Amino acid sequence: MRTDTPTRTVLMLGAAVVAANAAWAGQVRAAEGDTLVIARDMDVDSLDPGRAWCDTCQIYLNSVYESLVGLAPDNRTLVPGLAQSWDVSDDQSQFTFHLHPDAVFSDGSPVEAKDVKWSWERLRNLKGGASFFMDPVQSIETPDDKTVVVTLEAPNSEFLGIMNAPYTGVANSDVAIEQGANADPDADATDAAEPWFLENSAGSGPFVLETYRPNDELRLTRNESYWRDQPAFAEVVIRQTKDAVSQAQMLESGAADIAMQVDPDTAKSISSDEVTVEMVPSFNFVYVALSPGATGNQVPLTPPVREAFGYALDYEGIIDFTLGGEGDLQASPIPNGFPGTEGLPLPAQDIEKAKALLAEAGVGDGFAIDAIYPNVNVYGVDFSTMMQKVQQDLAKVGIEANLQPVTFSVWRDHIGGDGIPLTAVYYAPDYFGSGQYAQYFAMTGDSGWSKRAGTDRDPSFINSTEAELLAAALASGGEEQEKLYHELGLEMIKDRIIFPLVSPKLVLAYRDDIKGVRYSACCNLPLAELSRE
Amino acid sequence: MFRHVVRRLIAMPLLLLGVASVAFLLSHLTRGDPLASIVPERQMSNPAVVEAAKRRWGLDRSLPEQYVVYLRNLLAGDLGTSFRTKRAVATDIGERLPATLELVLAAMLVGTFSGILLGVVAAHFRNRSLDHGARLFALIGSSIPVFWSGLILLFVFSVVLGWLPGPGRLDARTAAPPFVTGMYTIDSLLAGDLRTFVDALYHLVLPAFVLGWAVMGIISRLVRASMLDVLSQEYILTARAKGAGERRVLLNHALRNALIPTLTIVGFSFAYLITGAVLTETVFTWPGIGSYAVDSARSLDYPAIIGVTIVGAAAFLIANLVTDLAYAFANPRIRLG
Repeated sequence: MRTDTPTRTVLMLGAAVVAANAAWAGQVRAAEGDTLVIARDMDVDSLDPGRAWCDTCQIYLNSVYESLVGLAPDNRTLVPGLAQSWDVSDDQSQFTFHLHPDAVFSDGSPVEAKDVKWSWERLRNLKGGASFFMDPVQSIETPDDKTVVVTLEAPNSEFLGIMNAPYTGVANSDVAIEQGANADPDADATDAAEPWFLENSAGSGPFVLETYRPNDELRLTRNESYWRDQPAFAEVVIRQTKDAVSQAQMLESGAADIAMQVDPDTAKSISSDEVTVEMVPSFNFVYVALSPGATGNQVPLTPPVREAFGYALDYEGIIDFTLGGEGDLQASPIPNGFPGTEGLPLPAQDIEKAKALLAEAGVGDGFAIDAIYPNVNVYGVDFSTMMQKVQQDLAKVGIEANLQPVTFSVWRDHIGGDGIPLTAVYYAPDYFGSGQYAQYFAMTGDSGWSKRAGTDRDPSFINSTEAELLAAALASGGEEQEKLYHELGLEMIKDRIIFPLVSPKLVLAYRDDIKGVRYSACCNLPLAELSRE
Repeated sequence: MFRHVVRRLIAMPLLLLGVASVAFLLSHLTRGDPLASIVPERQMSNPAVVEAAKRRWGLDRSLPEQYVVYLRNLLAGDLGTSFRTKRAVATDIGERLPATLELVLAAMLVGTFSGILLGVVAAHFRNRSLDHGARLFALIGSSIPVFWSGLILLFVFSVVLGWLPGPGRLDARTAAPPFVTGMYTIDSLLAGDLRTFVDALYHLVLPAFVLGWAVMGIISRLVRASMLDVLSQEYILTARAKGAGERRVLLNHALRNALIPTLTIVGFSFAYLITGAVLTETVFTWPGIGSYAVDSARSLDYPAIIGVTIVGAAAFLIANLVTDLAYAFANPRIRLG
């Protein structure tokens, strides 16, 4: 039987494709044991340890540039990092770190005190995203190669926690200086090393940077000179995957080993029995905020009005509506589980009380308020969905919220300009410690949110007690510190400026054969702890 | 024709300069904080940090000053540094554009050949079930949103059936081939790496089909209409009367003339897809120029916005020129210049 030529061609091509597929599949599976693939929507703004500030940066910096202090899996206990031990003065104003004698950088050179001093001074002088970590520091001395003495401007019992933040990671100063980096006071204008750091790394961590292609992939390879136990994976690839559904699909098909931003709704759709899905509490939270000093306020946001606002919100309903119930209430702008938060009163809706307060304030007939917020989906919470629920809740007490979702850059323009009467934002911890929240959210007059809420224009809602409590808390420790932060939490609730809506549970979604996946308060996902069964 | 081509080539840089100037002005006048991707929210209220960032990125200068600096750099071939990626915009585009070109070329191959085939079949079997079926298939392709069809096809072929890989240009466990063109299929072949070539090709199948399906609809409808018009011409009747087989009549006589109007659509579609493939790029995590453009616009990343605009404009200008030349070549009655 004569076979038609086109048919024969098709058959041969088909056979070639099948053979190639088999060869390809076989080759890919052989590499799987060594390479970990993480699907994530990367938010990398830099890989320069002195400039980076983002969630993915935390994962990267923690894996490539080690900090002096580590954080145990319980997310509370500080453990040795590059520093083998440390001494703290009684008044919490001087910290002496003793570097581990075995610590070396990826090029084999020892980690020395000068590298620590240089890295931290550069962090401060670059005036980048994380420079504020060095604000408490008065001086850094290096009496010998393995000792770093830090003297603070004022007592700060959280300084050790700050030293755990991945942003304080130590770089090889000799290598970095050769590439145009410097730690001089004018480094913000003269340092030229960022392009180099986007293609290379100079840390002591378990991994080194292999390649980085923005919005495509971040590839790390094992640091063969790592001074501790080698990580299990020879290679880690963080693959840019924007949405949760695509991440879940990659996980189910085996194209990814871990999907980092699957939301609770999408998690329910994962049907593969080779995938583990866990919900764990996180320290992240989403909140709405009022700005009494915003120029666009149609009525003064006096304390009774703000208190009414808090009572109008259906917190449990918001958690159900946005996350299907997979979130926790949070009392104050300090996350659940942080020092001082135990026993703080959780928010609850009370419509009648809200109406009475509004009547007492002379706005019983209601009023309109502009709600400008970034149109984002963060921690599984879609802000537009959430704000629609907030709008419904406020309508029940006569407050008409005029919703205006905008891009993040437009939101920034508003919030940094005339202020926004009502907005929604989110926050994640920089390290384990409550002071950071007071420094950012307390109405002290000089905190980030006091300026944003308009204390410059309307100083009536400055709360001077908070500054005193914060200073006292930072100068104390143990139970006394817990008590002080608890009082601080109560004061921040009384401010009625920041209204935490939900602390979303984090979805850990990963292939069954991957071990060590956990949530880290400092670093999101410690890559060195991961392995494959 | 040569003079016409030269005139168009000379005009191109001037047109691009005009486009860049308009893009510069519009992006700077758009409301938003360009520091959003430079200064984190936590440091927004720190004047020292904000001032340092403005100085570093030239945002402390007046708008005319910024324009002059930008123009000077542009004339020297420097598209500036992206606020978002912190890399040269030219480097970003140099990486992203080949990715999109690879996807668009594959999509155009799929869309054009399938569209032509469907159009011919539809015309030949006019008003019969094959015609209806072909037109329905094409209509579905051009009507369904690509983000929906992409997600569904990914779910079916990658997750359920496991026949095709998931999103991305390559399996994450496969290293990219050495850079020559930036198109992984071609670069892997040039490197003699068959495994990576097959991996790249497999990853290209679904996104190229999804994008090509949308183009297929337009082309098949146009080919069908043109074929019907040509098939009614007297010379076709003459060819049949002279004993030409139906395949010869369709392909050699009718299709060649029916394809001429299709050239315009193919050229336009190609240029449009260069920056318009963003939804497909997002669903398939394809790091192309479309998604780069959207991310840049969202972040008010001025240098990247202008850079992408220049690339998009150049794509249209070049595609139009090539289409005009192809048209003149295909139709001897057309004279350029």
